[in-house]
Amino acid sequence: MSKYIKLNTDRSEAIKSFLKELLENDKISSVLSLRKHKNGKVDYGLTSSVDLLDNIEPFYPYMPANAGQLMGRFTPMEKPIAAIVKPCEFRAFVEMVKREQVKRENFIVISYSCGGVYPLKINATQEIDEKLADYQQQVADQEIPAGIRSSCTGCEHINPLETDIFISVSGETDNNLKAYLRTDKAIDLIEFWHGQPEDKEFDESSLEKLLLKRKEAKEQLFAEVETKDTGLDGLIDIFGRCIGCHGCNSVCPICYCTLCDFDSFNYDYNRQILEKELEQKGALRLPPDTLFFHLGRLSHMSFSCVGCGMCSDVCPANIPVASVFKKIGEATAEMFDFVSGRSVAEEIPVMIYKEEEFPELGE
Amino acid sequence: MTEIPQKGVLLNSENGIQNSILEFLKTAAEKKVFDAIMLPMKVPSGDSFAWIMIKDMALLDNTTPLAPIMPVNAAKAVKRFTRKGEGRNKVAILIRPCEVRACVELSKLNQIKTEDLVIMSYDCPGALPMQDYIKDPEWGDSEFKKLLSDNIWNSDIVKPVCKFCDKFSLPASDLHFGRENDRLLLMANSEKGIDFISEMKLEANEELDNWKKGIGEITSKRISIKKETFSVIKNKVEGLDNLLNTFSECIGCHNCQSACPICYCRQCYFDSVVSKPNSDIVLMRAKQRGGVSLPLDKLMFHTGRMAHMSLSCISCGLCSDACPVNIPVAKIFSYVASETQKTFEYTAGESFGDALPMKEYKPEELGELGDLVNSAGIQEGDHE
Repeated sequence: MSKYIKLNTDRSEAIKSFLKELLENDKISSVLSLRKHKNGKVDYGLTSSVDLLDNIEPFYPYMPANAGQLMGRFTPMEKPIAAIVKPCEFRAFVEMVKREQVKRENFIVISYSCGGVYPLKINATQEIDEKLADYQQQVADQEIPAGIRSSCTGCEHINPLETDIFISVSGETDNNLKAYLRTDKAIDLIEFWHGQPEDKEFDESSLEKLLLKRKEAKEQLFAEVETKDTGLDGLIDIFGRCIGCHGCNSVCPICYCTLCDFDSFNYDYNRQILEKELEQKGALRLPPDTLFFHLGRLSHMSFSCVGCGMCSDVCPANIPVASVFKKIGEATAEMFDFVSGRSVAEEIPVMIYKEEEFPELGE
Repeated sequence: MTEIPQKGVLLNSENGIQNSILEFLKTAAEKKVFDAIMLPMKVPSGDSFAWIMIKDMALLDNTTPLAPIMPVNAAKAVKRFTRKGEGRNKVAILIRPCEVRACVELSKLNQIKTEDLVIMSYDCPGALPMQDYIKDPEWGDSEFKKLLSDNIWNSDIVKPVCKFCDKFSLPASDLHFGRENDRLLLMANSEKGIDFISEMKLEANEELDNWKKGIGEITSKRISIKKETFSVIKNKVEGLDNLLNTFSECIGCHNCQSACPICYCRQCYFDSVVSKPNSDIVLMRAKQRGGVSLPLDKLMFHTGRMAHMSLSCISCGLCSDACPVNIPVAKIFSYVASETQKTFEYTAGESFGDALPMKEYKPEELGELGDLVNSAGIQEGDHE
């Protein structure tokens, strides 16, 4: 059972003072969070000074990198880091834990029912600042804020169950802190909230209105990249304008390989091979393997796709990468009863061997 | 320096530059002057272009020899085709001058083989920003058509680097299509080019003086725009604070590097394991200043890339096209490159003959350092 803490303090401020106490009492080494600088710019950063914790912006609707990717780069540590991340970032972190890139116990994770983030292109943070009041109102009203990342409009994973601390934000009509402490690690630190704990679980059905809208938005997004009837041609229509920068891969929190196979020597063909293809087909696209790269990446990671939308957001050719990967990822994961990032205990489908699997394929 | 050709072939240009060049290439294909040719072709969705190496010449009709955008610098495509192994097809390519310059640099870096390659270029009207084109390809096509038909050289809609490009004409290609108002002039710029023209049974007897004069006028205008642009960008990036501020939006995706034709490393140093320190180092860095931005070393990546490739930067602007947060990467790199290249009296991509500055040792380059050595009372040669 979760412990529930409700304070009559603004949630950002409450979290800051909670974290300050953790730092002062040596419970954590530092805080990983969005920070807002004096010049208005927002980035992810690791803060280890109590004074600088005033600069953190835990709920800012911006995602310059999937924090799960950043967390996944931390090698084992003696003392944990407290990280305040969005649900899709936490889920990416969970996938990295399963891939033995990072230790779960190295982080005390605080997540929240996120209202979505604005696209990177709205990078002049002043622009986000201007939208902030409307955004917060829409989040409180369980609406989908206008102009947020398309993948956020269709996100149904708003309540990550395995975070240490969950803060209720969406659908809350006031800014007061409402925290659910979900793990022993979180409950051990309960005194630092200075509140009256009760036993209470977060009621996800309270977000029914929002989740329904998001489900519709997701279906819309998936319909836009439907290739069931168009097959390969449909895929070429979607990925044909790819310039091969592999930015989607480098910002993907699941793609953790230091060197992607598709950037390796394996795909650096001899001229003879290329000329043979040229002669057989009459023409050859250069650089080669445009679609192959995406199909390869789909097969390597899509079942673990957390739908964060970073890939679409960095794509210089405006390809709806995230919609395709989420759609295909969900469909593949479903066959294995798997939900990416749901639980550390849930093994990655391709890592488990079952003697009896997909017997219908055998037939 | 490239030796400017003396005379050119006047080609029929009645149907506009685009069609006339395509007709010329079709004739050349019929005469089997090359076995395959690489040209831009619209992608099936109609909102971008891709480099297609064509062997079946019936496909030439689907190409757009002068594409409105440059989604991939052609040198990257040529690299993938020619880098490994011997070829059996004689290949022609028609590319922009900045792409020729990238080919020159990659050839010096042993990434491109040019032996069986005929490089053709043209007086480039500039390229539109890729994202603008993708948003509205019809608009892009018609605007680009106007740039060609109305001989517009000061367009507002081309990429920022194209606006101040002073190397939009005759690069170190084998053949060049010169545009003198509505006249289309073909000129040979190498032995290969001369052979090509004679295989086509054409005669170069057209004077090029007027063309040169026209290009010269545009070039000097561009040089002054470039000076202005650089003085603005200089103020924006000079000094650590300015540099930090300019790159503070960077999210570390490294799209600029992967779109860059010069950055040919399979794995960038800044993506390697060396650039991913252990937690204790990250925590120590955070502790030293109270906090540290993540991912680490975003500015260091850019300054490192500058140090590694700016001597070969050919200002094609693909880095800016690929940047998801609109940092003016291309202007910054172009400015820095102009300064570093000046130091070595080197112009990237100008000639296949120049050695890369970093590959060439000149004792006199140690000038000021030599003075230091002298002031320390050490005589030349003493250091041994």
